[in-house]
Amino acid sequence: MAVTPTAALVQTLNGIQFGFILFMIASGLTVILGILDVLNLAHGELFSLGAYTAIGVFGFIIGVIGPPGGGVVGTAVFILAVLAAVLVTAAILLPVGTLFEAVFLRQIYDRDQVYQLVLTFALLLILLDVKKFIWGDSSIRTDAVYSAINAIPTSELVGLNYPTYNVFVILVGSVVVVGLFWFFERTKTGRIIRATAIDREMATAIGVSTDRVFTLVFALGAFLAGFAGAVAVPPTSATLEMGTNPLVLSFVVIVIGGLGSLRGAFVGALLVGIIRSWMITLYPPGEIAAPFAIMALILLVKPEGLFGTWGETA
Amino acid sequence: MEQTTTDHDTGGIGRRKLLSAVGGSAVAAALAGCSTLLSDGEAADQGGQSGGEISDEPIQAGLLTFTRGAPGVLGIQAQRGAELAVQRINEAGGIGGQREIELDVVNEGSNPLDSYNQFIEEGKEVTFGPISSGTHSQIAPEVEKNEIINVSTDGTVTTLYEETVPDPTYSFRFQNYDIMEVVTMAREAVERIGADNISTVAGVNPGYSFGEDEMRVFTQAIQKLTDAEVVYEGFPELGASDMANHITSINNEEPDVTFSSLWGGDVTTFVRQANANDMFENTTVFGTTLYSAAGDVPGDALAGTDIYSGSRNYYWGLPAPGNWQPGRELFDAARQQDGVTVPTAHYMSGYGAVTAWATAVEKAIDLLGTYPTQEQIAQVLEGHGFFTPAGYHNIAEDHQGASNSFAGQMVYDDDLGAARLEDVNTYAATETAPPPGVTGSDWLDSWSA
Repeated sequence: MAVTPTAALVQTLNGIQFGFILFMIASGLTVILGILDVLNLAHGELFSLGAYTAIGVFGFIIGVIGPPGGGVVGTAVFILAVLAAVLVTAAILLPVGTLFEAVFLRQIYDRDQVYQLVLTFALLLILLDVKKFIWGDSSIRTDAVYSAINAIPTSELVGLNYPTYNVFVILVGSVVVVGLFWFFERTKTGRIIRATAIDREMATAIGVSTDRVFTLVFALGAFLAGFAGAVAVPPTSATLEMGTNPLVLSFVVIVIGGLGSLRGAFVGALLVGIIRSWMITLYPPGEIAAPFAIMALILLVKPEGLFGTWGETA
Repeated sequence: MEQTTTDHDTGGIGRRKLLSAVGGSAVAAALAGCSTLLSDGEAADQGGQSGGEISDEPIQAGLLTFTRGAPGVLGIQAQRGAELAVQRINEAGGIGGQREIELDVVNEGSNPLDSYNQFIEEGKEVTFGPISSGTHSQIAPEVEKNEIINVSTDGTVTTLYEETVPDPTYSFRFQNYDIMEVVTMAREAVERIGADNISTVAGVNPGYSFGEDEMRVFTQAIQKLTDAEVVYEGFPELGASDMANHITSINNEEPDVTFSSLWGGDVTTFVRQANANDMFENTTVFGTTLYSAAGDVPGDALAGTDIYSGSRNYYWGLPAPGNWQPGRELFDAARQQDGVTVPTAHYMSGYGAVTAWATAVEKAIDLLGTYPTQEQIAQVLEGHGFFTPAGYHNIAEDHQGASNSFAGQMVYDDDLGAARLEDVNTYAATETAPPPGVTGSDWLDSWSA
């Protein structure tokens, strides 16, 4: 199949867009792993919970402001409403993360890691049943957001045929990336979190409450998972099984980038997103295998991952 | 949609006459085939001719179907169809007028073979389902081993009775199978666009045996009907959230025809994302099971699309509900069920599979005067013809379902609140299915170019 330059650009953009979604999921996973040293198997379900929750929040907020208005102002109001819905959804996941850490995980930090795996797997199953109880077995969907944002002709300005919603995801994802690095590099709270990751005992000695830091970090991870779920759901549906694939791919991403490295998660997510996208185009049977092949290759060449353990730098 | 019944519409089959023929029961009318197999209307009232020979123990039946997730869009339709058929049979007195059916439903999604074996261990006398061709390939050999009849609702892979279970005894399929619906869509593409206007073809099909089978058959059929070249084939996994890459590839190739056998929730994802990528400006889509998402796909996603979809062996618009009262009754009853916006072909999969088995058992009771064995029911099911509100069906001697199939443009009906087919063409089974004993591939090869 001959690939035109335009198609090549669109496929790459598709990969970047998927990579940003992956990063939003993997960043929460990697932050929790980097600080708490916990591999959270329930992270995919938090992503899924975000998607389900977002459908209700989108419905409520769009119901309040009405259908997307015309003109620049109407469009801007609608996009701001969507962003607000995404943030509200993510905020709803904050207490969920806080609860998980404070009630469950805190009890077993001193135990073998297998306890953490069993516990987070149990949380995964519980969340699955909670979703089933609240939303039922059938997939559910939000209709207005995807088509309304796509109605804005952004890509046509540069002569490209590309959905505006994907542009929206890339822009929002970029803001998340910048925001996260800014938070950990420039803010006092971020520095305290990093200090705790580098040397837990020293952080405690200088007065840092590790309990609070741990709760904050787990809540932040849940926030990011919920944020990703809210951004990812409009083009598709929320289903009970939707947490599995992103969780597996997020593991691949954080292994490629280096366990606990935020920078590694970013590079790994884009790498996986773009290579997967091109694999679908050039050799479709390789779509599933490609991310694992990259992971195996990097583990052979650089067993600690591209950027090693997080802490000294974000 | 026609909402009223007139003498002209009924084509000479008056409601009173129809109900009289089946013992005055509107419920039984919907299972008209069941009653027409009896010697006369009285037999139904008497519970068959066997009297005390038939136990009054309920018949334990099991249904494997998808009850959740993206495949649930289709699987729940099959479940509701089967449930309504069972309800109507029970309200009419049960099988042989004495044996009601108790139907257990399990989700096909995880470990379907275990669920099937559980049914057998529980002593089920008949099983229905599954939906997935992959599941069907797993359970069909088990059905033969267990010697308990299974009438599948779907599981339509062409090779099932050609390679997996080449000489079946207890495994039957109610639904029109892959080659039939694919040939229907190949013929529909030529009918709508013209053979001379089809030179390039692309495909986006589910990434497992069903989707691969459908694309292979479509390629073979369309290349017999036209000189088309396949320029792209994509196989997203079931429940994929992102189909943008396949859509981009199609936009790159701008094929005259894009063939798709995506189904259930995947249809909605594909159509929404294809519309957002302006794919319908570059190609015309022909899909065997896109209409399975009739009650799920939103109106804005269908606006401006160019999709022709098949409907296996059922479309509620044909026979027109006004022409045959049972069709209208089924349509209205289906819409009152939870999770059914409009009944689709997969609703009829569930309804028809139960009806196929029930009418065969009734026929056997009528012939034998007692409740039949599994082997006797199997013998009756071979070549069994029967009616449902979707018209006349036949299970051929090779155990494949064979009925008319339908194809039309998929549009959104605001009044209905769901998608429907417009400008529908009907294709007879003789146009779309190989004769019994001939493999699909050999049959297609035999077509003259």
